[in-house]
Amino acid sequence: MFALPQKNFRAPTTCLGPTCTQDMDRSHGDDLEGECSRKLDQKLPGVGDPVMLSSDTSYLSSRGRMIKWFWDLAEEGYRTYHMDEYDEDKNPSGIINLGTSENKLCFDLLSRRLSQSDMQWVEPSLLQYPDWRGHLFLREEVAKFLTFYCKSPVPLRPENVVVLNGGASLFSALATVLCEVGEAFLIPTPYYGAITQHVCLYGNVRLAYVYLDSEGVRVKGLILINPQNPLGDVYSTEELQEYLVFAKRHKLHVIVDEVYMLSVFEESVGYHSVLSLERLPDPQRTHVMWATSKDFGMSGLRFATLYTENKDVATAVASLCRYHGLSGLVQYQMAQLLRDRDWINQVYLPENHARLKAAHTYVSEELRALGIPFLSRGAGFFIWVDLRKYLPKGTFEEEMLLWRRFLDNKVLLSFGKAFECKEPGWFRFVFSDQAHRLRLGMQRVRQVLTGKSQVAEDPHPSQTQKPSDQCSSAELLKLCFSPGPPSPIKQN
Amino acid sequence: MSENRYGGAGQPAGASTDTWSISPWSDTHPVPSGQVLRDQSIYTQLLEMMLHLRQTMSEHFVQLMSRQGLLQEQRHTEAIREQEALLDRLLCQMINLLQSGAMSGLELQVPLPSEDSRGDVRYGQGTQLSGQPDPVSQLSDCEAAFVSRDLSNRGIDISALYQSKSQGYNAYQKDKYHKDKNTLGFINLGTSENKLCIDLMTERLLESDMNCIEEGLLQYADWRGQPFLREEVARFLTYYCRAPAPLDPENVVVLNGCCSVFSVLAMVLCDPGEAFLIPTPFYGGFAFSSRLYAKVELIPVHLESTITAINTYPFQLTVDKLEEALLEARLEGKNIRGLVLTNPQNPLGDIYSPDSLMKYLEFAKRYDLHVIIDEIYMLSVFDESITFHSVLSMKSLPDRNRTHVIWGTSKDFGISGFRFGALYTHNKEVASAVSAFSFLHSISGIAQHKLCQLLQNTEWIDKVYLPTYRFRLRKAHKYVTAKLKSLEIPFHNRSSGLYVWINLKKYLDPCTFEEEQLLYRRFLDHKLLLSCGKAYMCKEPGWFRLVFADELPRLKLGMRRFCDVLEEQKQDLRVKQLKPPASQPASCSGTP
Repeated sequence: MFALPQKNFRAPTTCLGPTCTQDMDRSHGDDLEGECSRKLDQKLPGVGDPVMLSSDTSYLSSRGRMIKWFWDLAEEGYRTYHMDEYDEDKNPSGIINLGTSENKLCFDLLSRRLSQSDMQWVEPSLLQYPDWRGHLFLREEVAKFLTFYCKSPVPLRPENVVVLNGGASLFSALATVLCEVGEAFLIPTPYYGAITQHVCLYGNVRLAYVYLDSEGVRVKGLILINPQNPLGDVYSTEELQEYLVFAKRHKLHVIVDEVYMLSVFEESVGYHSVLSLERLPDPQRTHVMWATSKDFGMSGLRFATLYTENKDVATAVASLCRYHGLSGLVQYQMAQLLRDRDWINQVYLPENHARLKAAHTYVSEELRALGIPFLSRGAGFFIWVDLRKYLPKGTFEEEMLLWRRFLDNKVLLSFGKAFECKEPGWFRFVFSDQAHRLRLGMQRVRQVLTGKSQVAEDPHPSQTQKPSDQCSSAELLKLCFSPGPPSPIKQN
Repeated sequence: MSENRYGGAGQPAGASTDTWSISPWSDTHPVPSGQVLRDQSIYTQLLEMMLHLRQTMSEHFVQLMSRQGLLQEQRHTEAIREQEALLDRLLCQMINLLQSGAMSGLELQVPLPSEDSRGDVRYGQGTQLSGQPDPVSQLSDCEAAFVSRDLSNRGIDISALYQSKSQGYNAYQKDKYHKDKNTLGFINLGTSENKLCIDLMTERLLESDMNCIEEGLLQYADWRGQPFLREEVARFLTYYCRAPAPLDPENVVVLNGCCSVFSVLAMVLCDPGEAFLIPTPFYGGFAFSSRLYAKVELIPVHLESTITAINTYPFQLTVDKLEEALLEARLEGKNIRGLVLTNPQNPLGDIYSPDSLMKYLEFAKRYDLHVIIDEIYMLSVFDESITFHSVLSMKSLPDRNRTHVIWGTSKDFGISGFRFGALYTHNKEVASAVSAFSFLHSISGIAQHKLCQLLQNTEWIDKVYLPTYRFRLRKAHKYVTAKLKSLEIPFHNRSSGLYVWINLKKYLDPCTFEEEQLLYRRFLDHKLLLSCGKAYMCKEPGWFRLVFADELPRLKLGMRRFCDVLEEQKQDLRVKQLKPPASQPASCSGTP
């Protein structure tokens, strides 16, 4: 998905991610109503346009207004990109997107495979209401697929599989069924920032960042992303084991997101799925996610799967699947794709890895030439780049300004704050794009960093709002909707 | 909305509209959701709960003592309140179990027997109108039975609600009738699915224009739906709804099903605890969808089957009834944010005249209510003499910024497995807020392409699909209604939708919802799935919805089983009536 660019930032004052919308858990309707209006009436310190939130003319409920506002803000970069997308012929000066983690390298292979005749199949059951966990034929295929590619010591079982329309839906459903409103998952930072939105939109669950202490919030689980996003790191079996034992000790659920598991392109990197462990410390609280969005470069296909031995969790997630189902015809195609082990092993994966590796090599060499430090271990689609030396004061405001300068020079990146990175100045570069776009993107990056970009440097035109009057949307959401009184925002 | 899976299961629907913290979808049988505990004795369950209770209490005190100084006052209070609620809940569960244990020996049973007057109130009127339910009555047997240590309370609630509502449907899924392989399997005349045109759809979907793989289809796209699909939906609705001016693709949001659209609308139009008005009987899925994520209540506007001074026809919806329900709910402190209408109506098959529709819309405008109109059956009107008027065909809407239309392909095209629902709203703010949820309800690019191709080909739709579809609907409807007439079963004779609303009161003695439920189960025992009136929040016991949009051989077999069950039921009634009336509560009235 995409990172969450936000308008302006200051360093976070607390450890909590946002809780959006009000506390939905209480059944006293009258109380709630009063509470909402009270909260909305509170003057929010430093909000650019509070009218948007407290408007009486709105047709939306207060949570509706909040959600919309948050969405508008979060989507800014992505929307800007969509309005001015680069196209070699039609819009050569459009924006190059090195911000969204998508694999655009293997469309030719996929298109050929998905056009084969075995994919075109229609039968009555595919057109009718399904088993909401996903068609059995697909769950069987998923179980076999994961058994093989995760190197599971025992065959995985189709009844432990629940299929949904994307990883976001899965995060949302898990948050809803595992946590009460206002509870939290622990997550090591920096992490894929959109998860914040996924767990809070319906679930109203927060994230507690590992680097900070999470006093006062009940932590229900731990989210691990392996291979990690944005670091491109993989956990060793020892590390994994250690985290799982830690979680067990504290009776935490562990959600392991392995959405990049087949995108480990460096052979020397030994990747271990959590499903490959001989024995899970707490199998009933270990829930694994996988999807085709990244590993098969099909983010638009909307397919994700949960694997959990916990029947209650599987059933509860399946109870929500009515709202997160995917088309029967697509389920059929997915089963065909996952079944085709020959194509995956002999055609798709080798080619995909070779292309990822080449793109990775190109971008890392560019960065080295610029003398820019970066982290990358040979997994995923991105490089975690250290641009701290370009921020004289080392603040998140400067990080934001630099991000805007990139955008003005028509290249979209993701900045560290969107991953809740503690230090200002880190950026995520996605390299899994076609060579011509990648080259142009890197050229535009270089222009900005070497001060040769077309756009004016300083003061930035869009910086007319004073950064010091702004706070991050995460903080703002917290202010509006945290159960307690708003914590004072430190000015400056 | 999309299918009545839950109604189809025929479980009492009282639950779904109840206070949403805990639901009394009490049934005559314990819901088999508590895999963990169901098979254990009640004492084991009590023991487990006691242990849980003890642990919670000790945590509670630890927290009281250790954190007082550290925490902000409010958060502290919050934490204490949460724990209090949990303690309360556990205590109630134990009381419930003890009650049921006392009543039925050691077997786990319905904690609150249905003879209880509260049960009647619940069945008759929907609990949201009842006064202050005491804490114990709020607990269902499911709640007591389903105690999972891994799920959150709301997770337990969701899971139990779902399972209680899909028992019948799940039984059907596991044991479907097949003419060769499983002749003794279930016939499903309960789920509103159009199975009449699978041949046409299969053919159409296999045509070459359907298969297209483009880069854009496989990548992240506009979350509101691919622009090409939204354009097509706008054109399609302009044409089939006879809109006076072309509809704007920017007002369209497409999601993976109409239940998703409804759920998201409830999220963005209401705050938790707020409510929508909805005339009964109504599609039970609304209750599920409004409660599950959004925690929005549905306030029923009860309609009656009898013709009276106010009712010129059965189940007539009038502005007076709307107004009365609204004011009554307001008196109880409910904040009503909108009105939900289904047109053509499900389960009645009624179609609103432009005049009535206008009156409802004006009523809504008078009270600043949003109107959500579900027109999912709009092309399933099979009598040519009847014209359906979409709300989008009106020259001017009384309150266009508060009128939101839902349509999908599940019913009209018989492709419920496709997962497609569309919202049309003039209100940009609403459209944009709904979009914020769309990544949780998105449709595969490949499916979006196919849908676009499907909707685009109006020639095929007008010349091939619709004439055949309607002809087959008419035929099936004729077959079923002839059978009903021969059995002298009264039914609501309409010409739209996939179902007929039938009255089986005469087979119930006494005429109560318990008896209705028993009859429903008798159908199930004969491998026939129907939906009972209670799932539609019908005020009067004895109504069922019978879906006829199935292929004739299955339909015939279904009707044969239907007749068998009723014959058996009749015989039982004869025997029952010979016995002296013991402690039977008298009643065959719709009134509680």
